[in-house]
Amino acid sequence: MTEPAIRASGLQKRYGDVQALDDLELTVEQGEFFGLLGPNGAGKTTFINTLVGLVHKDRGTAEVFGFDVEDDYREARDRIGVAPQEFNVDRFFPIIEVLEHKAGYHGIGRAEARERAEEALKTVGIWDKRDTRFDWLSGGMKRRFVLARALVSDPDLLILDEPTAGVDVQLRHDLWDIINRMNDAGTTILLTTHYIEEAERLCDRVAIMDDGQKVEVATPDDLMARGTDTIVLELAEIPRTAPRLDVDGITDIELTDEGLAVTAMGGSQTAPAIMRELEAQGHTVTSLDIRRASLEEVFVDMTRDDREYAEVSA
Amino acid sequence: MNQNTTQFLTLVRREILRFVRRPYNTFLPPIITNALYFSVFGVILGSRIGEIAGVSYLQFVLPGLVVLGAISDSFENASFTIFHGRWNDYIQAVLTSPMSNRSMVAAYVSASALRGVVTSLLIVGVGLIFTSVPVANPVYLVSFLLVITTLFGGLGVIGGLWASDFDYLTVMNQFILRPLVFFGAVFYSLEVLPAFWRNISLLNPMVYMVNGVRYGMIGVTEIDPNTSLAVLTGTTVVVLSIDYVLFRRGYGLAE
Repeated sequence: MTEPAIRASGLQKRYGDVQALDDLELTVEQGEFFGLLGPNGAGKTTFINTLVGLVHKDRGTAEVFGFDVEDDYREARDRIGVAPQEFNVDRFFPIIEVLEHKAGYHGIGRAEARERAEEALKTVGIWDKRDTRFDWLSGGMKRRFVLARALVSDPDLLILDEPTAGVDVQLRHDLWDIINRMNDAGTTILLTTHYIEEAERLCDRVAIMDDGQKVEVATPDDLMARGTDTIVLELAEIPRTAPRLDVDGITDIELTDEGLAVTAMGGSQTAPAIMRELEAQGHTVTSLDIRRASLEEVFVDMTRDDREYAEVSA
Repeated sequence: MNQNTTQFLTLVRREILRFVRRPYNTFLPPIITNALYFSVFGVILGSRIGEIAGVSYLQFVLPGLVVLGAISDSFENASFTIFHGRWNDYIQAVLTSPMSNRSMVAAYVSASALRGVVTSLLIVGVGLIFTSVPVANPVYLVSFLLVITTLFGGLGVIGGLWASDFDYLTVMNQFILRPLVFFGAVFYSLEVLPAFWRNISLLNPMVYMVNGVRYGMIGVTEIDPNTSLAVLTGTTVVVLSIDYVLFRRGYGLAE
């Protein structure tokens, strides 16, 4: 049986009064493009740092391709390339040497390390800056370089912590292309991001974390399906008050300038029943528009108050 | 070459390049400082002091100055490179790699010891401008230099992990190491001290290092060199073991 790329079970980490990871259970399959979403302080970076050895867990287990991140740390780390959110780059050396060193720390000989360093810089489009020190790169180039450093050891698991934070739209798309190519080639990707659109666009599955726990794991489409859609219906004659509709899944009905706005779980499934009910009441529907819940709205709902979400799900 | 060796050599090479490419920060200061020491203590004062232990005062203080430079630089190299890496987080590139904790410690200490040895040779080179430099017992000289630079490279690792500010590094070097060396029989013979202070001086580990290197250079010592070498080697093993445990526990490195 193939081991998952990441398996965390009962993972706990506490900093003083703060429970950064609280019995976290998470599995990422090999080859997946997996998104980790959550508000600041949700425990995303603590989880990543646990995988790479920068945080020592209090309890629980974490494995990378079946290797325990503490007992078999060498095997686990050899399979990981990480691009952290903060720039943590050796400022003493030109960037190509920084990459050679990183490859060497992974046991790659000097000649091959040089080739890989050049290749990684070409991949991210800053090869012509190879003899420049990190401090002299622009903000976007720094972001590209951090990705190159994660790639230079040819990892099986690429961990990207907010890789597109603060970059312009063009660079964001460039980085998405590179990451997608890596994933297409079989590399497992673990991505944390605050850009919900990024997760929606790139990820096979998304985990939403809050307070050190996993709130939900699903595909972006599944998550969006669980949100409340808005169905806007134009009626031939506008009623003075919003009609009462006896249809399952409806959470709100109101009259707006655009027409009758019905908020409901699973708008596509609910809309036909709503139309039948309106026509049974003597209304004529002249147009219908279903506005799907965005992943961002679902994310906000889930992380704003978990208990409310649990009640809605039930 | 196997993976472990490649990892170790990569980190050693990185460390060596860091200090070799910045000679104005790493090698020029001990050259200037020791040229001043030789001028003042050797030429100006030394002419009034005459011989000690059958050699000129300049030849007598030279081993002590070699020890002072060697341990200062090996300690400073290890403590600075680890603290600076922690301060700017780039040590994480090493920590998140598959290198073993043992290899990391060995690489940081080896490179620091090498810097201490290079500094020693530079000080000897400066000394040659002022006097002849005898080497009475080369095996002891090399052994003592290797052990004390390794020991202080290992202590520098502890310092670099413990420091939470650059001031800590200054405090350790200026207020702990240098006083110990200055009261470690660099500039005087233990024989000139009253019995009480002589016994107190024997509690200072630097006395054994200075006497060991002095034995290697001019063949004169006030303490048995074999005992000194054995004690220093044992201490070095203990310090390196502490380094390893600290790395394994992630002291100052992981949360």
